[in-house]
Amino acid sequence: MKEIIITNNPLVKEELEKIIKVEYYYTDYMEILKKVRDRIHKGHKLLTHPLSGSIKPNETPYKSIMISMDKDDLDTDSLITIENSIHTAKKFIKDFKTPDWSEEILSDFQTIDLTLIKNAIK
Amino acid sequence: MNLELGNIFIKDVKFGEDTKVENGTLIVNKEELISLISEDEHLKSVDVELAKPGDSIRITPVKDVIEPRVKVDGPGGIFPGVLSKVDTVGTGKTNVLKGAAVVTTGKIVGFQEGIIDMTGPGADYTPFSKLNNVVLICEPKDDLKQHEHEKAVRMAGLKAARYFGEVAKDIKPDEVKSYESLPLLKSVEKYPELPKVAYVQMLQSQGLLHDTYVYGVDAKKTLSTLIGPTEIMDGAIISGNCVSACDKNTTYHHLNNPVIHDLFDKHGKEFNFVGMIITNENVYLADKERSSNWAAKLAEYLGVDGVIISQEGFGNPDTDLIMNCKKIEEKGIKTVIVTDEYAGRDGASQPLADADPKANAVVTGGNANEVIKLPPMDKIIGHIEPVDSIAGGFDGSLEKDGSIVVELQAITGATNELGFNKLSAKGY
Repeated sequence: MKEIIITNNPLVKEELEKIIKVEYYYTDYMEILKKVRDRIHKGHKLLTHPLSGSIKPNETPYKSIMISMDKDDLDTDSLITIENSIHTAKKFIKDFKTPDWSEEILSDFQTIDLTLIKNAIK
Repeated sequence: MNLELGNIFIKDVKFGEDTKVENGTLIVNKEELISLISEDEHLKSVDVELAKPGDSIRITPVKDVIEPRVKVDGPGGIFPGVLSKVDTVGTGKTNVLKGAAVVTTGKIVGFQEGIIDMTGPGADYTPFSKLNNVVLICEPKDDLKQHEHEKAVRMAGLKAARYFGEVAKDIKPDEVKSYESLPLLKSVEKYPELPKVAYVQMLQSQGLLHDTYVYGVDAKKTLSTLIGPTEIMDGAIISGNCVSACDKNTTYHHLNNPVIHDLFDKHGKEFNFVGMIITNENVYLADKERSSNWAAKLAEYLGVDGVIISQEGFGNPDTDLIMNCKKIEEKGIKTVIVTDEYAGRDGASQPLADADPKANAVVTGGNANEVIKLPPMDKIIGHIEPVDSIAGGFDGSLEKDGSIVVELQAITGATNELGFNKLSAKGY
């Protein structure tokens, strides 16, 4: 099965686009979840959990999610998982916005996000 | 598989000439310990501090907490596959320095949380404030990559715990507890009238700072399998999980897993504790399906009536938890799940990222979004900068007087999903 990674993490684009299709967007965590939701409605299947990592949705600004390249009928399991994830992320962001991190910390978040998604490349 | 745990009660810790236990006091030869830990070429410097219950000390960011243990009798050594050979452990005798712990700190990434306050309101939320802690402060060589840094700190903690454990080898324990784990068919034969119960432990296994090791094997590369509960008491499972301080399982949690201890307490009385399954929590959804299929298949194979499932971590493990619960229930086996909650600061939001009507028996470790103010401490061990860098930000803020307003999720072990804490909720 061919895969696409939807990400806002520049390090994922840099490191992985030679081995897998990467769609990079200069946007925030929530927008990545929403882009993935829209793709699921178009028939793509969710392949990695949107809330990968125990780092909280209002803590890391980065998110990388893998979906199928192929489209089929709407996959309801994928839809339920992404909707639950959006609900959870909203809950965190409502209480506390992601801070303006230093470059050093942003780089750490990028590295963690990269290792999480790398583990899903088969 | 029978194991005797010999507890040697430690009531105090201090520096001294020789590392030994004397009248319930752990004496630490600081130089010897530093030189042992400094053998790792990845570390630039190592320092050791002591933190006792009631001290005005804040330790942060905490990476792992480890209880010193030593094999006295029986095959293998402590932390098999990591510090000892991969012999199967869990039988014979093991001595424990009960009341002492090694705590590791290190600024592996800039945003790290993990606070242990030894006194004040924060101390009530972490079990490690009640221990006599030997804290290792490990500074990495310049430009050391995060994964090498994490490994160096992890190994430093394990080595220090083994070093202290060794001095307990010839001491007569203050208390001996026996744990009997029979082969499945014999166990069923012995207590035919009692309901059969198994434990499914979920292990965090997602990647850098989110890993767990079983006999030295990275849990993300394992299939769900059977393990003897006494093997875990000898360090068969160690933590490489440094994220989500409140609900990660430290190595100390694994060694003292309260689900296992409670199951043993009621074994042969209320039910028959016949076995234990470990399963992972990977990022890839097909891995989640496979691992939960295997956990359910093994539970069915054991022929149990009920299963307790414990989770580790936040967010996507909620999906593994619900998959395990649903699939095991579908085999006709009753389940109880042990988790914690992120229900928002007001506690009004849905607490888990996944749910199912079959998950109708839940034990919670508390709401990790609850806010607490931690007053200033006289001394900080570790790095306060990670807290400072989150000023006004994620977890809360470092105020001018040194106090911090944080969500409980910043405190190590506050909402532990093995139930190794005081928070919970009851429904009537």
